[in-house]
Amino acid sequence: MFSLALKNIFFYKGRSLTTFLLTFVSVFLFIVYVAFMDGAHRSMLKNALDVYTGSLQIYHKEYREKGGYDYLIDDVSKPLGILARTKGLKAYASRLETYGIASSKKHSSAIMLTGVDFDKEAQLSELKKALKKGTYNSKGACVYMGETLAKRLHTDIGEKISFVGSAVDYSFVAELFDVCGIFKTGMYDFDSQSAFMNRRYFDSIFLSEGMATYIVAMADSLGENDKIAAHIADRLPPQLELYTWKTLMHSMVELMKMDSFFGYISMGLFFMVIFFVIMIYGFINVNARMKEFGVLRAIGVSDARVSALLFTEILLLTLAAMALAVPLGAYVAYYFQVHPIIIAGMSDMYKSYGVVSDRVPTLFDPVIIAWNSALVFGLNMLSILYPIRYVRSFTPVEEIHHV
Amino acid sequence: MIRLVNVNKYFYRGDPREVHALKDVNLSIQSGEFTVITGPSGCGKTTLLNAIGVLDNVSEGEIWLEDREIAHLPATQKTDIRLNSIGFVFQAYNLVPVLTVEENIGFIMRLQGYSDEAIRIRVREVASILQIDQKLDSLPNFLSGGQQQRVAVARAVASKPKIILADEPTANLDSKNSTALMEMMKELNRKEGITILFSSHDEYVMKNARRTILLNDGAVVSS
Repeated sequence: MFSLALKNIFFYKGRSLTTFLLTFVSVFLFIVYVAFMDGAHRSMLKNALDVYTGSLQIYHKEYREKGGYDYLIDDVSKPLGILARTKGLKAYASRLETYGIASSKKHSSAIMLTGVDFDKEAQLSELKKALKKGTYNSKGACVYMGETLAKRLHTDIGEKISFVGSAVDYSFVAELFDVCGIFKTGMYDFDSQSAFMNRRYFDSIFLSEGMATYIVAMADSLGENDKIAAHIADRLPPQLELYTWKTLMHSMVELMKMDSFFGYISMGLFFMVIFFVIMIYGFINVNARMKEFGVLRAIGVSDARVSALLFTEILLLTLAAMALAVPLGAYVAYYFQVHPIIIAGMSDMYKSYGVVSDRVPTLFDPVIIAWNSALVFGLNMLSILYPIRYVRSFTPVEEIHHV
Repeated sequence: MIRLVNVNKYFYRGDPREVHALKDVNLSIQSGEFTVITGPSGCGKTTLLNAIGVLDNVSEGEIWLEDREIAHLPATQKTDIRLNSIGFVFQAYNLVPVLTVEENIGFIMRLQGYSDEAIRIRVREVASILQIDQKLDSLPNFLSGGQQQRVAVARAVASKPKIILADEPTANLDSKNSTALMEMMKELNRKEGITILFSSHDEYVMKNARRTILLNDGAVVSS
């Protein structure tokens, strides 16, 4: 039957070519489309996490619900020690956030002032890369503020701003700071409200030594993040809790899920069209060969063998198309992962999600490519079921006299 | 060898278009017979052959092949009988277009599981008898009608079935090719001892048959 199937493929060239080309196009487009979609999502996510959020954060319980100084981590040494012993983390650091009013000579704005370790932040986030003016790693009474915030306060490098807020013991804080650095991440909210200060000086004003609003960490690989998070969570003191980026960036994750959903719906519609075209061509071919099937069955070919013949034909055509489409699609996915596409027009849209870069790499993932291919393979195999059922619905005599 | 008992066949039964194609057919055909079923067009010759070859279901009655009733077997067992006991020759040749003459002749033997060598020897033997041994590598479409019908006979004969059912095998052949085919089939019947049952209204075929069964309007008039 294999030999007969092979000969039929070459004999019925129209159907074979159509099935081959449609399968080739389906597999190739599916692999490339999914690679671009997943790559864009991964890129958006990575950029957003890289900018500031990190891949996991540790809080005192109830801080995220209630906030305020009552729920600070009051001893960072233990969780930092756990992170130091955890493999797979690129970097980690504690941050202490406070809120207050910043004023220049004529303008005021509510700001979030965060005490950070600038050296660690340089490995952990994009704060250093986002520097636009002045210096990044400033000591003393210096602030490193967002560009939009600086514009709002009408201030610039070398000028002074005042800050009014409260220390962690709720005592009053009023200080003058120098504007030493200005950054721009592209995230509007972040750039218009955030300012950073060297942690040592920050602690001396806000009386927060050894404390933190949260501890942030970045995993080497996002794929390993959940495993690392579970490992850390198991070892944390009971008053602390851990959140991964999936919770921290919930709305973004939902947005990407929605985008993927509609992406797959679009591809699903495309595949339905391909599926029916392949099935219709298969049906037309089978209909034209009814007499042949009647003769085969009349001379003793069983129904199972006739089904096997048709399955073998579509199998060989599908495998041949996939043998070309999968390596080609995988190559395109790999090539554009290494050499990302630069789409300047998309950068503005991406910036709302914190994507500083306008480079859109694909995601080359052999597992995704395998299931993309398997899906098209499965659809092709399904497309022959109806023609087989049709052939088997007739007696050999009816098929021989079929017009 | 073949025995038909009260066989009836209706098309569109219970429908205004109902046709009673075979009417109480009772018939016996012995092993080694060279028999022709004849009668006017539409008298039921092909229907009778299809019934004997279990290609089509009968409405009533029994068909016995040796000591086995075959008319009411499940489809898979009917397929086995067609594969192992019956050879078919069709009016329109019905060769597999993508297979060469050699592959067409050996096709049934291959389905039966014979070795390549056994198939090769038998194909050459039969092809030689039917004088198509020079065309073994050709595709059917490149053969004349007479040659294609000889290939169809060779395919039916190669696996040494108990019976060959030939439905108007000379209908599409000229008189020269008809005569040659009949002589070859007589030779096969004599040499191989195969029971051959024709349907035909060709004078030459009827003259050469040892037994003639006359059908009219679905009923056996004489046998």
